[in-house]
Amino acid sequence: MFDVASKLAGAQIVLATSCDDRYPPENIIDGSDETFWPTTGLFPQEFVLTFGSMMEIKRINLACYNVKRIIFEKSEAPEPLKFEPLTERVLEKTDRTLQHEEFSIPGGTHIMHLRVLIESGYDHFVSMHKLSIDGNALHG
Amino acid sequence: MPTVIRAKFIVVGDATVGKSSLCQVFHSDGSFFNKAYTMTTGVEMVTKQINIPDTKDSVEIYLYDSAGKEIFADHISKFWDHPSGVIVVYDVATEATFSNCQKWLDRVRQTEPNLHIPGVLIANKVDLDQRRRVSPKTGKDFASSHGLAYFECSAKEMQGVDAPFYFLANEFYKLYQERIETLKSLS
Ligand SMILES: Nc1nc2c(ncn2[C@@H]2O[C@H](COP(=O)(O)OP(=O)(O)O)[C@@H](O)[C@H]2O)c(=O)[nH]1
Ligand SMILES: [Mg+2]
Repeated sequence: MFDVASKLAGAQIVLATSCDDRYPPENIIDGSDETFWPTTGLFPQEFVLTFGSMMEIKRINLACYNVKRIIFEKSEAPEPLKFEPLTERVLEKTDRTLQHEEFSIPGGTHIMHLRVLIESGYDHFVSMHKLSIDGNALHG
Repeated sequence: MPTVIRAKFIVVGDATVGKSSLCQVFHSDGSFFNKAYTMTTGVEMVTKQINIPDTKDSVEIYLYDSAGKEIFADHISKFWDHPSGVIVVYDVATEATFSNCQKWLDRVRQTEPNLHIPGVLIANKVDLDQRRRVSPKTGKDFASSHGLAYFECSAKEMQGVDAPFYFLANEFYKLYQERIETLKSLS
């Protein structure tokens, strides 16, 4: 298994609802939790990640700050459409440390696009620091 | 690309203090405004984008205006959700509208007790000089003891109306910058 959400594995952020050029959404998948993508006000917020190819995923690892309710959706379609529920959670508030969360994904989950919806937060602005996903490329 | 900060400002206060008039005057002067539309009974929303001085950035304001008692009904909960800032309005010629500011502010702050929500207090209808019942000092004291900035306006004479909105937008922009600094120190 490897991090199928990394830039090196061909993953790309294809949509993000907030944009501050100094802190681009690519910061979420650059492998560092010191770089981040902040939301710039209002809820909900979302970003969509497209994998380098169809993947089978086992676990999502997330580092973020001040996120309350988060929803993950997946799509197997060639284009980022037809999303279906994957997993969701209400996170605990942390104080001056990042929220670290792991989401186990049922076996046999195939995915081409991941939609991450931030429904609410503990502050006006929240941030995504690092997303890594354990999985494998599907061949054939 | 310039950064656009998005802010939801809710306008609260007793009926007839001039909430809708203030929103109208504020959003109709500039060139960047969208149509007003009624979201649901009793709530109107207009948007307006304003530039932050000395930056390329701007704040896109989603201004929520409420009408009457309906605002306490369950289906209006969208009005109260996640405000970025609050604008409390009273009529300087009607004492009771000033006394009720406390109630309005409490209602706003109780939804998100742990969230810092910047706010302004607007003393409206200052054109009604002779009939003024609430002095500037009384207004200012209330504002400062509740962490609000105090502004005097006349929506009728279009006097001082923009200032509180620009102030609040700048406050919210500052808050964003502060949060970014905090994020840089985390990991
Ligand atoms: N004299 C005076 N009348 C005002 C002012 N602002 C609003 N009004 C009047 O007060 C009444 C109620 O205004 P409105 O904006 O509908 O109040 P709302 O119920 O708080 O939205 C209307 O008749 C307005 O014309 C003001 O600054 N001065
Ligand atoms: Mg009104």
